[in-house]
This record gives sequence, C-alpha cells and structure tokens, in this order.
Amino acid sequence: MDKRLIPLLPLVSKPARYTNHELHAKHKNWTDVAVKVALAFPDIYDVGMGHLGFKILYALINGRKDALAERVYAPWVDMQTQMEEASIPLTALESGQELGAFDLVGFTLQHELSYTNILKMLDLAQIPRRSSQRSQKMPLIMAGGPSAFNVEPLADFLDFVVLGEGEEVIHEILDLVIDSQAQNLEKDELLQKLAGLDGIYVPSYYQPIYSADGRFQRIEPLRQGIPPKIEKRVVQDFNRLPYPEEFVVPYVEVIHDRVIAEVMRGCTRGCRFCQAGMVYRPLRERDPEVLKEQIARLVENTGYEEISLSSLSSGDYSQIGPLVRDLMAEYQGCGVSVSLPSLRLDSFGIGLAQEIQKGRKTGLTFAPEAGTQRLRNVINKNVTDEDLKEVVQGAFAAGWSRIKLYFMIGLPTETEEDLEGIVDLAYKVLAWGKEARSAKRRPEVSVSVASFVPKPHTPFQWMGQDSMKTLRAKQRFLKERLNDRAIQFSYPRVEESFLEAVFARGDRRLAEVLERAVDLGCQFDSWTDCFRFERWEQAFRDTGIDPHLYAGRTRDVLEPLPWEHLSAGIDGRFLRREWELAKTGTPTLDCRWDDCTGCGVCPELQVANVLVKEKSSE
Amino acid sequence: MSNVIRFQFTKGPEVRFLSHLDMVRTLERAVRRARLPIAYSEGFTPRPIMSYSYALPVGVLSEAEYGDFGFALALDPEAFMTAYNEQLPEGFRVLRAEELAEDAPALQSTINAARWRVVLPDQDVAQEIKARWEELQGLDSFVVRRETKKGSREIDVRPFLFQVEGIVHDSTGTCFECLCGLGNEANLRMDELGALLGFSHLEALITRIGQFRRVGNSYFPPLGSRDSL
Repeated sequence: MDKRLIPLLPLVSKPARYTNHELHAKHKNWTDVAVKVALAFPDIYDVGMGHLGFKILYALINGRKDALAERVYAPWVDMQTQMEEASIPLTALESGQELGAFDLVGFTLQHELSYTNILKMLDLAQIPRRSSQRSQKMPLIMAGGPSAFNVEPLADFLDFVVLGEGEEVIHEILDLVIDSQAQNLEKDELLQKLAGLDGIYVPSYYQPIYSADGRFQRIEPLRQGIPPKIEKRVVQDFNRLPYPEEFVVPYVEVIHDRVIAEVMRGCTRGCRFCQAGMVYRPLRERDPEVLKEQIARLVENTGYEEISLSSLSSGDYSQIGPLVRDLMAEYQGCGVSVSLPSLRLDSFGIGLAQEIQKGRKTGLTFAPEAGTQRLRNVINKNVTDEDLKEVVQGAFAAGWSRIKLYFMIGLPTETEEDLEGIVDLAYKVLAWGKEARSAKRRPEVSVSVASFVPKPHTPFQWMGQDSMKTLRAKQRFLKERLNDRAIQFSYPRVEESFLEAVFARGDRRLAEVLERAVDLGCQFDSWTDCFRFERWEQAFRDTGIDPHLYAGRTRDVLEPLPWEHLSAGIDGRFLRREWELAKTGTPTLDCRWDDCTGCGVCPELQVANVLVKEKSSE
Repeated sequence: MSNVIRFQFTKGPEVRFLSHLDMVRTLERAVRRARLPIAYSEGFTPRPIMSYSYALPVGVLSEAEYGDFGFALALDPEAFMTAYNEQLPEGFRVLRAEELAEDAPALQSTINAARWRVVLPDQDVAQEIKARWEELQGLDSFVVRRETKKGSREIDVRPFLFQVEGIVHDSTGTCFECLCGLGNEANLRMDELGALLGFSHLEALITRIGQFRRVGNSYFPPLGSRDSL
C-alpha cells in the first residue's frame, strides 16, 4: 500500500479496506514485468472485492511472467477527504503506486450508476478525464463488463473497450502492449493495433452523426480498416477455461465473501426485460467434475466457510441437485456450507432449498416480476400462479416463515389491473402461509418493487420509461394497498431508476452531463445516502441536455440506436420480433429445451449452448 | 484433559487495522486451511469453539493476544502451533500454546489488566509525561466523558491507570509503558489513557504487551508461568 496513507488510517471508517496484505494478494516486482495493469473497480473495496470477473483477470494476468495486476477501489468519502487534504493521489493497493504509473487501467462497468465513480477515481488519480487530454505517457484507460454494450456515454473518457468475455482477449491485449513497448510505438499506433483485435472498440476512431432535430443518426468509423460493427468475444471452451486457484481473502467484511464457483455462463430463459439474459448468450454449463475440482482447490486455499454456486440462474443448471448433494456430503463435516445466490424458487423445487438451508430457515425469494399472467406473458417470465402456489405452500409447510417477492412496475402494456395483481399475489401468498404454516413464527411476506429500466440489446430497448410522476403514483397505489403488518413493502427511489434509464440508452452527448455532475459532487449514486438528485438536475440544466428524451421517449423500431455498432451477437430482427410478440402477450420458449428462437448468437458467433446433461449421455 | 488449547499470539503492523470481528473471521479461516479438528457448538447453527480475550482497539498492535480453541480431540500444543502458524496471514503469529486443564476458568474471567507500550514517534515529551504521571499519582479522580452506543456519561478513569514506567526519549520518539484496567469493570480506553497522560492516541503507536489477572499489586498472565509479574 501507499505508506503515505498510514497516518490517515486512524481517522477513517473501516481502515483495513486500504491496508492490503490480505492472504493471496500478489506483490510482484515492478522491475520484473513488462506490463502493469490496474484493475479498477468503481465502488468501494467492500463491493468490489466480491466481483468474480476481477478475480479471474487478477489470476490470469498475475499468472503471466511478463505482467502484473493490482487492485484499485474507490476510497469511501471520509478517506477521499483525508487524501485530498493531504494531497495524496489514488494508488493501487498492492504496491501503493499511483495509477498513472500503470500501463493499463481497466474499469469494470457493472451498472450505469457507477459512472460518476469512474470519473471521480480518475480525478483522485490526477489523470485527465478525457482520452483526448491524456498524454503519451499516461496509461491506457480501458473498460469492459455488461454496460460496455452501450458504453457511448463514457466513450470520451475511455481509450478502448472490451466487448464480451475477457479470458482470451486479455492475453492478446497484453501481448500487443508488450510488442508496442519493444517497438517503441506511439499510443495511437498501439490503439490502432488494439482496434484490430476482435471484440475491441476504440471510441475515438468513431464519430456519431446527429440529425438537425438532435436525434442520433449513425456512427461512422473515422479511419480505413476500422470495423463498422464490433462483435463481442466468447471464449472457445467454457469448460477448459482457467479458473483462479486462489482468491484474495479480505479481512473486512465484503459482499460475496466466499468461494464462488461459476456453474454456468449465459441464460436462455429469454425474459424480455433482462439485459444479462441477452448479452451473455449462449448458455454454457460447466462440467460438475471440473467444478468440484475448482471448488476443492479454493476451499483448501482460502479456508472460506461457504461455497456459492454462481450464475445468472443457478437453479437452472442441469445437474444442480446432484452437485449440491455431493458438495454438502463433502464439506458439511468441516463447517463449510453451500449456497445459491438468493434462493430463487422460480427454477428449482423446495426440496433443494430444504437441503441447503438445513436448520436455519431464513428467507426464500420468488421473482414473479409481474402481478398478472397476462403481463408475465408480455415480459416472457414463464412462471404461473400455480407454480408460485405450489412452491410457497411447500415452503411454509417445510418451516419457512418469510417469503420475499420481487416485482417491477412500469413494464410495457401495464395497467391498473396488473398493479392490483401485485397486491393480490402478496395477500394470496400470505394466506397460503397462514394455511400451510408449520413454523411457530407468523408468516411474513416482503414485497420489493423496482421500477422498470429499458436496457439496450433487449426486446424492450425501444420502450420509453414511465415518467417519475407515473412511477411515484404507482408506488403510492401499491403502498396504500399493501398496508398489512405482515407485509413489508420496499421500493427504490424512482430518481435512481430514471438516471439509470438515461445512461443505459444514452449517447456521447451525456459525457458533458457526467463531468458536470462529478464537478457538482455526484458520486456513489447507487448508495441511497450519497445520491443527490438535485445535483443531477442542475447538471442537466447547466449542460442544456434534456434527460427525459433519453429515459421517457419510446423509439420507433426503425430508428437508429446509438449502441447498434456494439454487438452482443443478438440479431436486431429477433429483438423486433420479440417486441411484437411481447405486445400481443405471446411467450417465447427457452432454446435450451425447445426450438431455436433465432436470436442469432450461435450462427453469428459460431457458438452453441452447452448443457452438461447432453455431455454425460454422449 | 479439556481438548482446549490456550495460546498467545501477535497482531502485527500488517493486520493492525483489522477490527475484532475481522480478526475472528481471519483466524477461523486459517483453522480451516490448517485442517485442524476444531470442535463445534451444538444447536441450529453450529459455531466453531474459538474464544478470545478482550477486543484490541483498531490500530493497536499486540504481542500478547490470547485465544482458547476447543478441539474434537486432544492435540499436541506444539503441533498445533506449527500447523497453525503455517496458515496464519502475515502479522498474526502464535508465540506459545498450552493445553488447558479441565476445570480452567474461561479466558476473559482470568483477565482484568493489560500492559501497553506507547511510542510517540518524533515527539520529545518524556519530561511532560513524567510530570503528568507524578501529578496524577497525587489525584484521587480524573473525570472524562465516555461516548458509548447508549449515549455519553461521565466516568472517573483515574482508578483504571495503575502504573506508568520506563518513560524515555530515544531516536524513535518518546516511549513508556502503562499498566491499566481491562475488561468489563475497570476498563481504560486508549483515548482516555491519552487524556490522562496528555498525548493523542491517534498519533501514538500503541502495543498491548501483556494481559493479566491483577490481584492486589500482583499480575498473573493467563498462560505460561502463573507467577506474578
């Protein structure tokens, strides 16, 4: 760590966030390697340390003799104040080197509300925000992650962007950087070479064109040989991918502080609101034997007390039952438990939940997402009231007393009836609980209602978001009706969902707003305590940009969209067809069990779904 | 025998800023890595049987932390020490270990005092500290406000400071050692020690170098020689 921080540590909360020396942190000698990468997470240590993607990259990069990777997190507000007062720039945890000393600084883009933190971290590191203002000697600022599929609002700040899976392309990037050092290439020459790699987007090589009325028209490559469309990367063989043998074991409590096994990648359920379900395709399951080996090594090396089976929908993993049972048999004796990230009952039975939560029956969650079958058909969330009834009754009978339900408001075609449906369902669940209960505790239902945010590369990408006024009225509608002591109703602030919608479907003109917002003190926008909407409103006013045009306007399906050159392999015709089917309430089945839906990913990227069941029967 | 091993360990500069809970988690994970046969409590959520002496303030170093680990079978204390030290992260180190007698009292009930070494880096205040200690010896009470989760109250901390000695100034700064009350009854906090002796605990490098049961003017450590200090 940076020794200059030591005197500040007694003055800040949770100082061990900044002290490094965790088990398995890698301290490589800076003179022994050619290329140095800072993996920068745009939130605090406690959040960033749980991120699997960075664990994978950290192991891959540090596994090379010629490269090193170190970690950087956003300091919490109290530490920022101390650092700014003492004029200490942001440094990497392991070596304490300033970010400016690295060759590459890579940010992960997990969600739109973290964008201000990226600029704030550059500010703290004393690195100019805009790529055009950075000198030859400055590190290249790169980014990847799900929000890279519409990175346009950040385009002016990033030197290059990785679309899709990083495990293979990271080596190609590092090799190019090393070559460029050997050949003493200018930054632009290196970027030109990077732009030649599949899955790499160099925003400064493209120019967006807007019409006179301000609408986005198209984006044009500025140079010869630059691809008009960037296709995401998908790894060759998910099963043979190297997986970290060690995780850095943090001292302070962080999220997902456990052994994480990635049981599969991608999801083909086809929920029409879900960006992850579209951009991570195809679906690939990892061989259970491979998983067991990876888990055994990690348990041995970390001493963690919990193993989490992670993916977008782990209950859908073909071998989930046998895998859980095998792991429990193996580890129960040594105080290590098995968990699924939030026990989602949509896809697996109560039996499995019972096995996992032996003894402590805390909460179970169910995500119907919408209150009526009609609306669930619209969003293609293929669960029925009967499914819910069966599982909920089973859960209460088995001794659970608290059920958590997730819903969204503001979905396409929603009417008052659908809101009533949410209320009905909550009371129904409570009633089933009273009938079936076996636990001594009174049944409780918690209802969590998010505001729908239309996301790029989904069938709802054209849909305008409900106005904040409408969303607030819908929240009030629910609040008035969900007033039962046994029902706990929670909902995030509509302002946060609104801002998310603005940036999710934004274009390059938002860069100015982002800068202004950071200047006005916006950061940690996903932390309710730190979110200051009035500053955002001022930033929009100051820059003369109307956020409602981004969030609230329903686009025509033929209108060009600012992210169409950033491809997740999904065919635009598929999205349009799904949007039409949504409007008529027609479900689309899951291609892992039923016919191909024609989303285009497999032919476009030369890939296929891989299920472990098929493999074992071969 | 009891299958409980009592041991003394360090908390070094690398792990100085860990909270007590951070330390508890870290030591538990090291037990698992070392594959030590720790015993578990009964009940719905079995917990490993591991207990510690009074929490060390965040930022303070220690050469004398104590832990009691219960095992499923009798372990050789030396073998425990070797195996555990191999898995402990930098900064934590077991210095000695003993098997506890069946009827031995719980760790916390055998401790009510601690010895601290205070270093004030780059400060030359040995004379001031000496004068302050002389002055305090003539005082019956010294009242400070103590902030707790339940609010703040006035408390007389003079009886919790037993002895200050070895006050010197050298190349590193001003150093001295203090014997103070520790635990539930006569606990002296580091900010209060600072208030008593006139230094800022945030600028000090403080190390806990001993924990004892104080009986009259005798101090008995919880491990090793049971003789008085």
